[in-house]
Amino acid sequence: MDTLFLMNSLWVMVGAILVILMIGGFILLETGSTRMKNAGHIAGKTILTFGISSIIFWAVGYGLIFGEGNPLIGLSDFFYSGYEVEGLALSGSVFFLFQLAFAGISLTIAFGGFAERAKLGAYLVFAVLFSVIVYPPIAHWIWGGGWLAEHGKQDFAGSTVVHLTGAMAALAATLILKPRIGKYNKDGSANNLAGHNQVFTALSVLILWVGWFGFNAGSTVSVDGAFFGFVAINTNLAAGAGVIAAMIISWMVMGKADVPMMLNGALAGLVAITASCAFVDTWAAVLIGFISGLLVFYSIRFFESKKIDDPIAALSVHGTAGVWGTLSTGLFATPELATVGQPGLFYGGGLHQLGVQALGVVSSGAFAFIVSFILLTIMKSVMNGLRVTEEEEIIGLDMSEHGSYGYPEMVKVEKTAIESKLNA
Amino acid sequence: MDTYLEIRRFRDSQSIWVSRNHIQLNQLHDKIIHSVITVSIKQMEDRYGPIPCPFTFFMMGSAGRFEQSLWSDQDHGIIYQQQSTEIQEYFLTLGKEISLGLHLSGYEYCDGAVMASNPLWCKSLSQWSLQLESWSLDSSWECIRQLLIFIDGRSLYGEPEFLENLKKKVYQTIHNEKLLKKALNNTLYLKKGIGVLGQILVETHGLHSGSLNIKEKALFPYVNAIRLLAIKGNILETTTLSRLERLSEYELPSIKRELYKKQFLKLLNFRLTLSKPDNYENSHYLPMTSLTKEQKKEIKEILKNGTDLYRYVRNLIEKEEN
Repeated sequence: MDTLFLMNSLWVMVGAILVILMIGGFILLETGSTRMKNAGHIAGKTILTFGISSIIFWAVGYGLIFGEGNPLIGLSDFFYSGYEVEGLALSGSVFFLFQLAFAGISLTIAFGGFAERAKLGAYLVFAVLFSVIVYPPIAHWIWGGGWLAEHGKQDFAGSTVVHLTGAMAALAATLILKPRIGKYNKDGSANNLAGHNQVFTALSVLILWVGWFGFNAGSTVSVDGAFFGFVAINTNLAAGAGVIAAMIISWMVMGKADVPMMLNGALAGLVAITASCAFVDTWAAVLIGFISGLLVFYSIRFFESKKIDDPIAALSVHGTAGVWGTLSTGLFATPELATVGQPGLFYGGGLHQLGVQALGVVSSGAFAFIVSFILLTIMKSVMNGLRVTEEEEIIGLDMSEHGSYGYPEMVKVEKTAIESKLNA
Repeated sequence: MDTYLEIRRFRDSQSIWVSRNHIQLNQLHDKIIHSVITVSIKQMEDRYGPIPCPFTFFMMGSAGRFEQSLWSDQDHGIIYQQQSTEIQEYFLTLGKEISLGLHLSGYEYCDGAVMASNPLWCKSLSQWSLQLESWSLDSSWECIRQLLIFIDGRSLYGEPEFLENLKKKVYQTIHNEKLLKKALNNTLYLKKGIGVLGQILVETHGLHSGSLNIKEKALFPYVNAIRLLAIKGNILETTTLSRLERLSEYELPSIKRELYKKQFLKLLNFRLTLSKPDNYENSHYLPMTSLTKEQKKEIKEILKNGTDLYRYVRNLIEKEEN
């Protein structure tokens, strides 16, 4: 067998494993950023929904994205059975697994908008619907030879496809679900429902940071020229610049180097560079990451002031930074690196590529939001509401949805205190 | 006034008239607290017989400094002359009675139990003397904190010289044992009120979103810095303004003294006139949106000067102790 074929396959397999490990990062991110009484639920449902997403991707997702069809959707290759794919310089099953991992990440991001208040049933149903109706069309448009690919849209590893799509579904969910109990006061001011473990959150960022080498550098889907090293450098630089920028801005504006904000800055840098990591120079990667660190700070404050309760900042980290990242290649893509599309505005490419990027953002974002909103609205009426009852929300989803707490000893104390007050 | 209820009614009827004047308000507080003590003593004497020996009841915290807002909590202690188990029992019971009386008159209990009902803060002269000495010698963070609380003590009933003599002794020990730097480190943490861009740093979350925490960000730097200078200069006064007046030219040049006095008084009045002091918690917050441009500028000046003063004191003490 051809050595290059084997090496490509091996490298992308490593990438797929790293991306699947990012699910572990999201478990820590989401549990760390939320309260103790929901920790077991959040951890468990993340694994469960990745399972659902995997099965759906195998059954129909892959075919809808990469199958033969039209510019809007693919319509063949359902129930993929491990055969080689024509024109691919790596094993078909490795490529399949790599793509499956991406679909799982996008769904996990979407569920950020559900956190701490949605019924388990809502997760299960939306996992299926998102994996069939929301994610595949957008992935097909950009990566599967659809209409945006024909326009030369640059989205190397999925700022738009994976992150913006997930974030838009999260936005629809958080709008429909409404804020968590206790998030806003009667006078409209917001309370800080602090996450229960900043160490988890920090560790999650490191896991995601490392996983992102699979996500971005793995997206070369080839070892040719060892280009993956360059992509990995850009990825690392953007994350570094993001954390620094978020620290500086939160220190300047609030007088404190806010830890959750710094962590979100690193993630925003990673999300932003996802689209442009293969198309821009290293200095541009630093700049793109830095700007995303600033953007995420203001974005989080913006959503909070608009009474949009986003417990794990999915809208800002994946949405706002995803949009910026996608647009950034329209500015910074260099003539040498722009193997897809054209160079950016600052490299004499004019507004053309920026326009293509904007079109991609608007059409993909709008599609993900509108379709998710419609699906969730239908689910809401059919399922008699998407949200747990107030009582269930207060005792925590660990107990209401699963019957046992993630931290039994700790939460019991709190619960006894509430009950004794009630019965006093 | 013969009952706590009457005192509470008196407070409610009177406080509205003085709620916007710092000095009159604190005079009213003193009067209320004095009345509570009188009622408590009468209750005690009816139940357990006459006061067994001379004593003093003193307030600490903002009441000790004559710097209470419309609402505040209670911090107080008792020093009695003679030592015996029965006498101790009597004054602890009196301490409990006064705490209850103050509570019924609208002063919240102290979270940290700095109250005459707590044996730690209700002792005979000789026991107090031993305790203060052991706090000084121990000089752990908590002991120094307790000494600093004690230093703000102001006698409201009984024999003021009991307290004065003990405070003099404390000052002596602090100087002998070179504890001033430890006292500085005890209150070194400064919550920033102004950001690097020159903006006022307000609360970002919770019911006080958009408000400035004036207690921690504006008052504390002045109060803590001036207390340290007062210890340094052996000044027994407890109000920040009178401490400032008494400082020597060496500790703080007169031009600065005048500036800080003016700023601090302005701050005390801002607190009364601009916050919505309908309860203890709210009186610590200044809603920024309701301020005029001029008022915001003045607040910024106060915050800036507070930080400057604090830095000055820190340098002065650090230089000297080295």
